[in-house]
Amino acid sequence: MIHLLDCKVLSNDEVAPGHRRLVLDGKAIAEDTCAGQFCMLESSPGLQPFLRRPMSIERFGGDSFSVLYKIVGEGTRLLGRIQPGDTVNVQGPLGNGFSIPKEFKRYILVGGGIGIAPLPGLAQALIRETGTPPEVILAARSRDILLCQEDFTRMNCPVFLVTDDGSAGMHGFASNALEARKPDKYTLVYTCGPMIMMGAVHRICMENGSRCQASLEANMACGDGVCMGCVVETTLQEEFRRMVRVCHEGPVFDSRDIRWNTGTPAHD
Amino acid sequence: MTEPSLHINLGGLAMKNPVTVASGTFGYGSEYGHYFDVSLLGAVTVKSLSLKPRPGNRPPRISETPAGMLNAIGLQNVGIDVYLKEKLPYLREKNCTIIANIYGYSPEEYAELAQRLEKEGGADALEANLSCPNVHDAKNTCGPALVAQSPQRVKEYTETIRAATSLPLYIKLSPNVADIREPALAAQEGGADAVALINTLLGMNIDVETRKPCLSNIVGGLSGPAIRPVAVKMVWDAARVLNIPVLGMGGIYTADDAIQFLLAGATAVAVGCASFRRPDAALQVIRGMRDYCIRHGIEDIQKLTGALRLQ
Repeated sequence: MIHLLDCKVLSNDEVAPGHRRLVLDGKAIAEDTCAGQFCMLESSPGLQPFLRRPMSIERFGGDSFSVLYKIVGEGTRLLGRIQPGDTVNVQGPLGNGFSIPKEFKRYILVGGGIGIAPLPGLAQALIRETGTPPEVILAARSRDILLCQEDFTRMNCPVFLVTDDGSAGMHGFASNALEARKPDKYTLVYTCGPMIMMGAVHRICMENGSRCQASLEANMACGDGVCMGCVVETTLQEEFRRMVRVCHEGPVFDSRDIRWNTGTPAHD
Repeated sequence: MTEPSLHINLGGLAMKNPVTVASGTFGYGSEYGHYFDVSLLGAVTVKSLSLKPRPGNRPPRISETPAGMLNAIGLQNVGIDVYLKEKLPYLREKNCTIIANIYGYSPEEYAELAQRLEKEGGADALEANLSCPNVHDAKNTCGPALVAQSPQRVKEYTETIRAATSLPLYIKLSPNVADIREPALAAQEGGADAVALINTLLGMNIDVETRKPCLSNIVGGLSGPAIRPVAVKMVWDAARVLNIPVLGMGGIYTADDAIQFLLAGATAVAVGCASFRRPDAALQVIRGMRDYCIRHGIEDIQKLTGALRLQ
């Protein structure tokens, strides 16, 4: 069920340079969330910025939930100033999260930068459903912004680090690290991160006969499937499915359905 | 005091209150059923319907602006067949009053949409969108880009649709004109029961880092609180020369905003992209309008239409 709630801020701490975790009191949202769903946050009670900000729900359960965010624009800058005890209006949980088909032998999570946010929750769900901690590839530009590493090690997930500058783990991109893990046709890959990274992850999966679920990001106005603003182009033939809404048909898609070389959504 | 009457009549359509939603900002109603009982609205105006489904423009389609947003969706919609089969039952079951917004590529297409919607019970009133800034009329090789920019074409289109239906007919006009009174009068002469104004204002936003336009369509339609004063002024201009009612819209976020439109001459109002920010915005506007009436001792909200005090 979708809720519209004023949530009390429990904490809003920096987790890496320019990155924060906002923990909110909101039992109804925490209870109804599945891994991979998102929420829409008001970054300011006024008219500026006008639109809510879509954010992956990171941790959820009990009475609270959290979002991880990177400060990039006006909305996230305002969110960064929010203090414990303040309230934030939240709409959620929204969209379709990850699905966990049982026929695979290996599950590999590939998160890039802030895109790691929905993956700890997914790892937890995979352990519950399959009994085995999934392999995790954690990618970032450099060592200081590799997020959530401790969440995965606590769940006994094998974690493979990869950085663009080689400051931690493998020197290269997420797709290089995935290739090194030799995914096969019994492997399901889950990915969330920059479009260019997910496109490369998709390509490696196709080359190796693996399946891939990708969680997309887009600028959104409503988050409810109404404004038609957050669409991406698909490879599907039917006229009315050539464009799908990230908020409503997604944010998680079978990577084969997405047209990866065009229509890269802008990040805000 | 006694409960104020919020009932109005918009060109032959009885509404329990003066508040509907702007087409394209409320889907087909059910999307907002999570947040409130949508039958509490004076009417639900559905997303533009065309004869065939439309995939719409390529992304990116929206861009945030000061107190508003630009969009270039391109009328992505399910088409009239899917609407009648899959979307309409929810609205009828909820006992909603329905305004169907229609979009065609010729007067005949509008007429066909109007006929089908009337025959199949798909609407209680029609709003013909002659003013979408984000789709291009391939047959129109000369003259203004939008039908709503040519009073002559507004009249012709209105006459053709009028002849095809007995449902209340509203003509949705564009603010991208020098004088809104001309297309408004043309719609009245063509037989419209009301005019709906305004559609979005054409605008543009540029990402200076990449030097690229923020929309794939380069330009788009501006909506949100930023455009409200423009919309109120156009309602004021049009209402003074028309004999038919005005459905006012453009940047309504609060009940006070909606009251401004009534005072300027609107009979009813539509809440637009405020629903994106606050899914229950239209409901809050209705409640706030009722409170305003109580606070000001107004027994019948119709008394507010055109009740601007000039001294």
